[in-house]
Amino acid sequence: MMRNRWVHFTVAIFASSLLVPFALCAQTGAASKSGSASQSSAKSQAPDLSGKWMIAPGGASLDPADPSGTHPDELPMTPWAKQRFDAAKPPFGAKGTFAQNDPEQIYCDPPGMTRLYQYPWQFSIVQTAADVYILFEYTHAWRLITMNQLHAKDFDPTWLGDSVGKYEGDTLVIDTTGFNDKSWLDNVGHPHSDQLHTVERFRRAAQDTLQLQLTIEDPKAYTKPFTAVRNFKLSSFPLGETMCSISEDDSFQKNIMDKTVAAPSK
Amino acid sequence: MRNRILLVFSLATTLIAAVPAFAHHGTAGYDMSKVVTLTGTVSKVQWSNPHIYYTIDAKDESGNLQHWSLEMSAPLLLERFGWTKDSIKEGDQVVAEAHPAKNGAPVGISGTATFLLKFVVNGKPLPSR
Repeated sequence: MMRNRWVHFTVAIFASSLLVPFALCAQTGAASKSGSASQSSAKSQAPDLSGKWMIAPGGASLDPADPSGTHPDELPMTPWAKQRFDAAKPPFGAKGTFAQNDPEQIYCDPPGMTRLYQYPWQFSIVQTAADVYILFEYTHAWRLITMNQLHAKDFDPTWLGDSVGKYEGDTLVIDTTGFNDKSWLDNVGHPHSDQLHTVERFRRAAQDTLQLQLTIEDPKAYTKPFTAVRNFKLSSFPLGETMCSISEDDSFQKNIMDKTVAAPSK
Repeated sequence: MRNRILLVFSLATTLIAAVPAFAHHGTAGYDMSKVVTLTGTVSKVQWSNPHIYYTIDAKDESGNLQHWSLEMSAPLLLERFGWTKDSIKEGDQVVAEAHPAKNGAPVGISGTATFLLKFVVNGKPLPSR
């Protein structure tokens, strides 16, 4: 399955060079003369979400009522989740500390799907007829969203889950399940379980603004679903590279982080 | 070592209004209500993930040499603010502002995704915001 995804990805990058006419077609509503009737119909219904989108700093918590994480204990957590939340020492929010135990920052673990939208770098949406790809600057993560298909019946839980998508009017709807439970939900230490199910609804709120409504459903961790909203601005910067490197991080840890959590100087 | 002897030293602490900040690991270890101004010589440039940091040799008000480490944002973000990896080099004379560590260690933060404090390198200011 992983090999197939790499094939998909390679094909997508090649296909992205063909997307300009596709995007223009979507914007103008004009049908491609060279495509079949069904292909033209499908393309004309797809909103153009392509571009490089900048994630604004902030919004460390996915609690819709408390995006800054001032009261991170107010999400409706189950006892299972509360135990993990209490053990978390996150970098942000009311519990923010440099003496953290965030697995992403200690081990360079993948941040998980939901946290990819919480760091102030760009992502790019690449739309093809069969798939949508989301390419993130942060850790160079990429996601495959298979369009108009059901979830795979047999897959191993993964950091980013299994994503399928469809268009509803001007909105791209992505349904993801099949997560492992190794990552945090957000930057203030809210946990998630392997029962996490997300629904992302992307639409252009304006020509230069992409809006995401991210619904979290995780009955093992939360007693009811909730939906966080984020807006991303169109960017002109080229996609760059931001990696997590343990060797680089080790130098930073020793020279910055460790010194700031040492006992106060006398 | 003689080349690193500092020409001008000052350490000033100023109270300022708290500013929103974003660093990969947060800013919980820093006193964001204070700014120190360091005048000294750059002894190390670490242009890498997750954050750039510079080491600056500067003397405190008592004349004692201190080795400060100043955290910046990630390379990609600092480049988008107009800096390059050659903006500051070892041996440069700098005047630099930083929010100091809460525990009194000679560590500070001078830039994140949301702010970039004053840096003057060999008499020329770098972009700030």
